Amino acid sequence: MSVTHDEVRRIARLAELDVSDEVLPLLGEQMSRILEYVAQINAVPASEGVKPFVPGPDAVRFRADEVKPWPLAFGPAEFAPAFRDGFFLVPKLGQFEDADT
Amino acid sequence: MAGAWETVIGLETHVQLRTVSKMFCGCSAAFGAPPNTNVCPVCLGLPGALPVPNEHALQLAVRAALGLGCTVHPRSVFARKNYFYPDLPKGYQISQFEQPLATAGSLSYLSPDRGIATATIQRLHVEEDAGKSLHDRFPKQTAIDLNRCGVPLIEIVTGPDFRSPHEARTYLLTLKQVLEYAAISDCDMEKGSLRVDANVSVRRVGETMLGTKTEVKNINSFAYVEKALTVERDRQIAVLEGGGTLAPQTMLYDSKTNGVRPQRSKEESHDYRYFPDPDLPPLVLTEQFIAEQQTLLPELPAKKRERFVEKYALSVTDAAVLTADRNVADYYEAVVHAGADAKTAANWVMTEVLADAKDHADGLRVAAGALANLIGLVRGGTLSHQAAKRVFAEVAERGGEPRNVAEALGLVQVADTGVLSGWVSDVLGAHTSEVMRYKQGETKLLQFFVGQVMKASRGKADPKLAQRVLEEKLAP
Amino acid sequence: MSDPSEALASAKAAADRIVNVKRLNACLTPIKELRKSLAAQASTAHPSGVLYGMPVAVKDNICTLEFTTSCGSKILEGYRSPYDATAAAKLKAAGALIAGKTNCDEFGMGSSTEHSAYGRTLHPFDKTRVPGGSSGGSAALVAAGAVPAALGSETGGSVRQPASLCGVVGIKPTYGRVSRYGLVAFGSSLDQIGVLGRSVHDAARVLSVISGRDPKDSTCEDRDSLRLPNVPESLQGFVIGVPKEYFPQDLDAAVRRACDRAIRLLRELGAAVREVSLPHTAYAVATYYIIAPAEASSNLARYDGARYGPRFNGSEDVRALYRTTRGDGFGPEVRRRVLVGTYVLSSGYYDAYYRKAQQMRALIAQDFRNVFDRGVDLLFTPTTPTPAFKAGEKLNDPVAMYLSDIFTVTANIAGLPAISVPIGRIKGLPIGGQLIGQAFLEDEMLEAAYALERAVPAAEEA
Repeated sequence: MSVTHDEVRRIARLAELDVSDEVLPLLGEQMSRILEYVAQINAVPASEGVKPFVPGPDAVRFRADEVKPWPLAFGPAEFAPAFRDGFFLVPKLGQFEDADT
Repeated sequence: MAGAWETVIGLETHVQLRTVSKMFCGCSAAFGAPPNTNVCPVCLGLPGALPVPNEHALQLAVRAALGLGCTVHPRSVFARKNYFYPDLPKGYQISQFEQPLATAGSLSYLSPDRGIATATIQRLHVEEDAGKSLHDRFPKQTAIDLNRCGVPLIEIVTGPDFRSPHEARTYLLTLKQVLEYAAISDCDMEKGSLRVDANVSVRRVGETMLGTKTEVKNINSFAYVEKALTVERDRQIAVLEGGGTLAPQTMLYDSKTNGVRPQRSKEESHDYRYFPDPDLPPLVLTEQFIAEQQTLLPELPAKKRERFVEKYALSVTDAAVLTADRNVADYYEAVVHAGADAKTAANWVMTEVLADAKDHADGLRVAAGALANLIGLVRGGTLSHQAAKRVFAEVAERGGEPRNVAEALGLVQVADTGVLSGWVSDVLGAHTSEVMRYKQGETKLLQFFVGQVMKASRGKADPKLAQRVLEEKLAP
Repeated sequence: MSDPSEALASAKAAADRIVNVKRLNACLTPIKELRKSLAAQASTAHPSGVLYGMPVAVKDNICTLEFTTSCGSKILEGYRSPYDATAAAKLKAAGALIAGKTNCDEFGMGSSTEHSAYGRTLHPFDKTRVPGGSSGGSAALVAAGAVPAALGSETGGSVRQPASLCGVVGIKPTYGRVSRYGLVAFGSSLDQIGVLGRSVHDAARVLSVISGRDPKDSTCEDRDSLRLPNVPESLQGFVIGVPKEYFPQDLDAAVRRACDRAIRLLRELGAAVREVSLPHTAYAVATYYIIAPAEASSNLARYDGARYGPRFNGSEDVRALYRTTRGDGFGPEVRRRVLVGTYVLSSGYYDAYYRKAQQMRALIAQDFRNVFDRGVDLLFTPTTPTPAFKAGEKLNDPVAMYLSDIFTVTANIAGLPAISVPIGRIKGLPIGGQLIGQAFLEDEMLEAAYALERAVPAAEEA
């Protein structure tokens, strides 16, 4: 399983991670090795009938529909890196992108 | 030419469920609070916070699914839809993907072109809403309000079943009616509690394969549904007739220019990497839970319409008007149960009652029993129809019992032959030449005399009785 | 202890001990802040609580109102949680004192505590070696005697592996036994808060307090908190399985000797010991390194510089904000795992990796059920394939690092409780033995651990 540099770049864009050209070769090599290692599970015969296993309760429990917010010792103004007039602030979307609404 | 093309439309409708708290946390789901005040660790996506589902949201979602004739699956799975956007704090939306809550439903609606048509509901699933991004509040910055983040939604996906923008709109109105009836949602497009995206394609008439589809977004009012879809359909036809090809892309509708333009976005953003949400065990619904929702589902509009036609001998059109709103339908039935004639009650509700309700936000202002009494007064000859309308307006405005109000307004018809005789004598004395012409055989003048008596009595005379007294006095 | 002056003395002594082992870089909390907070906590702690006055250090990926919660990452540098994790709240309600936040591999991703943005933690016995990880700070603090117990967290062995390497006890409870609310998520279906302690008893007392139902965590079971068992006289009636896959041909000879000695002691205590087989063990690490990164890639999407945490290189464009924040804020191991996780979930690869791994997970869990269904109560295995390794030794070879979890990941994959107990020394370095129990039968597992702990000469060469 070998991951090409273009693939690493595509995945990095999906994950919104900056990957510099310097680290690209090593990263590509390490990802390839990891993916090669984990792909060994495909050596186990196709197990169509096997239902996925997830630990924990068999069924989700519900919460009553009440306004009872989980406690917040202090508000967003205290931890947000940029906050004004009650809003979180982030830079605008790039020029090649549109807002949804 | 446009006639040679067939339009194919499918709709994805997002509907906000009527709960007091959010889907996965105890924050208020109310609209309109100051920004970022209805927030907690869960809906802010703080490190370490976890979701816990709202029972009522699931009850409403199941009711919606049952109301749309879907198969509700006893076991479904919450999944994460991964993408980055400023108003999506966790970097994923909790939704459902491979195993949705419900599938395989349908909704019949009255197509303007094809009569009763049926839209297939492919799937109905539960998810959480995102927050709001305000792009023009501050220069160079996007402002984020997370109050709406985590509000419960259902997404209802139809097949490619609509053949015109008008049909799509009619379906949407029918869907809205059903959801309002069952108190599942407010369905207010302006407040964002109902949002619709459309998949649109065109093909030559007779072609069975679907054409390249585009997704139309940003249709934010019922008024624009038909316009937006028409604009996109016409654009597609123009491209194809000009020999061009269509790209499968997302188009944004702009209501100001009534135009569409392609959404600019990175192609990778469509790889959502769905996988089962490990923070939420499977959504398992017992038979009892589902059955309970069925019993809590009221009679839905289509069923009620049929029943009104059958039980009250109304026309389909009248029954449709009366059942369009659940409160109006209930009101109508209450008027009939209070003793009013079904047909007369229908006329009153469709005219006076709906007109009054349209002008006044406080709903149906004349109690059903009062309207039944009023109708009775007309039927018994105590009030003329015209006088009854005035009484209705007065009762609506100031309340009171129709009979008392009519008396107070002096609108009760005078059925005392003695009093009437006086008015008749006055009228005949004042119109001697008309009396002569009547006696010579011009009998149609009788209505003229009745009119004069009504005038002399200022509308209080019982017109039937007045006619009888006139006939007696004019008899040879 | 029930006297406020004793709690204050305990708080001061703990702070002094933590200062004394400052060179280990095990505790991330500045000492001045730690002293002040410990004194404040001691004066308001509930005297009736079962842990009244007990200092408990907490791994840096568990949210506390006291101190910062940075998960060993630059992306959360200086982040103060506006709420307490349920486990932290339960500790405080029981009268315990939060004795600082401990160093760890960034977001729990690592097996050596070298992947921390705040520097590596040193092994308390040999500064050239690693304490294991990711809860290496907690393990080192306990091993150095600074605190009797500390909270850690596990995704693939991050409590048991450092416990083995540092010579302390490490418990990973059954998945769903302890609330994850406030544990910063790495691999949600594998994550569980665990406890490191000087002794089985210290660890078990703390575990008992933090366990039990929590309406804020949908994956936490609706059960009462764990009841502590008594120290048993013997292990008569216990059937202990020894899975052959955990004793491969090439297993370190000294580790094998230490395990053989422990097995002999278990027999002498009256337990019936049987060889068993867990045939899918060979695929456990591969399965784990698909599921954990996949979940991590989604869990770590929220660190985008928009709502909390520092921002790196302000930018005109929100995408650039994301990329620089995440590119600069995450260390190399986290970046690697986020990329691998994104890859295995992406279109076209999901079935071959994630779906297949979910099925492997079922097969591995079924292996355990098969053994337990045949009358085996507990399994005994080595906790780690080697004692503490040298710092830097595996830093550039991720797969070699991953293989140090080979004996621990299975309990996370199957959601089972497991405990590591020191069973001897190898050239002066501690090594642990592992008991894996059945879901929610921690009490049986703890009984056997009590007996083993008492019988084994843990400070002697194996």
